[in-house]
Amino acid sequence: MKAFVKRPFVSHLLTSIGAMAIFELMTGPPGSSTTPTAGFTGSFGERASFFGLFATYRFVVFLALAVIVSGVWTLWQSRGSVIKHGVNTGLARPRAAWQLKPVRTGFFLALFIFALFLPHLETDPYWQSVMVEEIAVYVLLALGLNVVVGFAGLLDLGFVAFYAVGAYVTAWVTGALPTPAPFGIHLNAFFAIPIAIALVMIFGVLIGLPTLRLRGDYLAIVTLGFGEIVTIFANNQYGITGGSEGTNAIPHFSIHLWFIHYVWGLAPVPYYYLTLAFVVVFIIVFSLLEHSRVGRAWTAIREDEVAAESIGINPLKYKVMAFAIGAASAGFAGVVTAGQTIFVNPQSFTLPVSINILALVIFGGMGSIAGVVVGAVLIQTVSMYLLHSPPAGYQSSDLYIYLGAALVLMMIFRPAGLIPSRRRRREIGMAEAGEGHMDEVLTGDTP
Amino acid sequence: MTTDRIFTVENVTLRFGGVVSLNDVNLFQNRGEILAVIGPNGAGKTSLFNSLTGVYQPQEGEITFMGRDAKPMSIIGRKAHRVSSAGVARTFQASRMFSALTAFENVKIGAESHKGFGVVGAMLKGPRTRRNEKESDATTIRLMDFVGLRQKANVIAASLSYGDRRRLEIARGLATNPEVLLLDEPAAGTNPAEKLGLATLIRRVRDEMGVSILLIEHDMKLVMSLAERLYVLNFGSVIADGTPAEIRANPAVIEAYLGSSADETEELA
Repeated sequence: MKAFVKRPFVSHLLTSIGAMAIFELMTGPPGSSTTPTAGFTGSFGERASFFGLFATYRFVVFLALAVIVSGVWTLWQSRGSVIKHGVNTGLARPRAAWQLKPVRTGFFLALFIFALFLPHLETDPYWQSVMVEEIAVYVLLALGLNVVVGFAGLLDLGFVAFYAVGAYVTAWVTGALPTPAPFGIHLNAFFAIPIAIALVMIFGVLIGLPTLRLRGDYLAIVTLGFGEIVTIFANNQYGITGGSEGTNAIPHFSIHLWFIHYVWGLAPVPYYYLTLAFVVVFIIVFSLLEHSRVGRAWTAIREDEVAAESIGINPLKYKVMAFAIGAASAGFAGVVTAGQTIFVNPQSFTLPVSINILALVIFGGMGSIAGVVVGAVLIQTVSMYLLHSPPAGYQSSDLYIYLGAALVLMMIFRPAGLIPSRRRRREIGMAEAGEGHMDEVLTGDTP
Repeated sequence: MTTDRIFTVENVTLRFGGVVSLNDVNLFQNRGEILAVIGPNGAGKTSLFNSLTGVYQPQEGEITFMGRDAKPMSIIGRKAHRVSSAGVARTFQASRMFSALTAFENVKIGAESHKGFGVVGAMLKGPRTRRNEKESDATTIRLMDFVGLRQKANVIAASLSYGDRRRLEIARGLATNPEVLLLDEPAAGTNPAEKLGLATLIRRVRDEMGVSILLIEHDMKLVMSLAERLYVLNFGSVIADGTPAEIRANPAVIEAYLGSSADETEELA
């Protein structure tokens, strides 16, 4: 009996069934005080459709999933090392087809052209506003955080602070805050773009200078704190930010230059194109940076700060630079949000937003611009789809269960992300092989 | 103090809490000299290196570095990257490469780290950046040639052998255009043939590039054949200094080594 349970497939199957049982309970109906067991029996016994094919009960669906999971698991155990090994030795080999520059450029061009036509292919107003507010804005945020986390290797858990500052600066310069606008001039939101980006970058430097002297976990905690400080400040300072009620109406973007007059109205599509233009600009800027000496210095610091310092790289300078540059795109995201939704309140800038952005970056592939763009588009689309037309039994709070599961699976099967960056993939490969130093103390003579 | 002393260490004491790592250390290095620091494990050799490169800040004493411009500069109170810009390069005991980068990129980062730049220029590859890149590339290729890694320029640093990693670290250090190169156990983990090659390389660095060498090494044969002068550290204090022949005959040194490990004494004899 014991030997039977110990056989890999059987043990995998039993574990999978156990995991799926928990999963069933998590996604099942809630219980109540009158029928305390309803949550339990309902989770397993509720009627469900077998992947839309025929009517059955929930436990049958999950049993089927458990079989699939254990099959994949067993396969991974027997073939996984080969797959992973292939990944790691692939580094020394020439680049795979999809890593070649023309392929990548072509991929981006195709994606760009698709993005250009997207608002005409998808005319549902829900999706059109989602494209701006939830997808394009999050692509910008993920791109920015990717500079900080992916390029420079700084775990920032308070990235939403830059987003918030961008939005509030827009409100400020357009005169939508209780605080008077600078010099009493109410600018239109379009001119808020450069001002907000500049101020957010300065804010990044100001936050970066004291915090970036810390490393690793300490930095994560401190940035987490700063993120909360910004939200709480916005929430509590009624006289300055309008507090929890949010700002007054922020005017829409408009251009009045010589003969060009254009006003962005309520419709999301013009904002979409404005944001798309900036997404393209940021992608180009960030990838140029990645391949410049700044990007190389970031990699050096990320890999071995002590060694980087020993060859004359000032870690603080480059880290602050990463903070400020990453903040720029978050600042612009803030401007777009403020300009389009006409209204900003602190509830949009809470910790879960930071975590969500980080999840997008990790899912897509830290340090890979293509990865974070695709990852952000994918995850945001799926989560918005689930919000818009939820399948039976899905509650909006379940999203994080699925997102969490997707991340766990990602970490097991593709630890470097959906579209990994070459450098990152090597690092992870080497860390698994026990080479390279993650963050080891300066060794002395100790053997 | 004379101008041909590249390093002058005076009364340096370094403590970590109650542990005294360096105790009233006095030493100096002449320009163009191959100087070695030896001593049993835990004697404070690496602590000395870290103090010389600004990684540790000793509580007492003074370390003066004299560059080619003959202006004495205090190392204490300076950050490691500033010390590097002043002309002090180093390697590490456990070699610390940027292991996900190619050998070429490793050296290039060293070559370009001291050049001034603007972020926008670096990004858009303006004329100054392009000129700098060209220079850095040339320096890198020259140095890869010098250390004998030209063929392995595009290999990921992590897949180099130990001996090659040592060479790469030396090239990376030299790329910063230093006046003195600090080598922390360069021969650790290398085979006899590689050791011989390293010794030749180290001598060539001094002879052909005019870079002074400060060396920590456990391999006595290597040290005795390479160094022109030695300091012996034990428990954080300098217990002897002199030429290899003098050190070999020094009773204090023999005792220090007898106290730690017998086979090292054999090597010494």
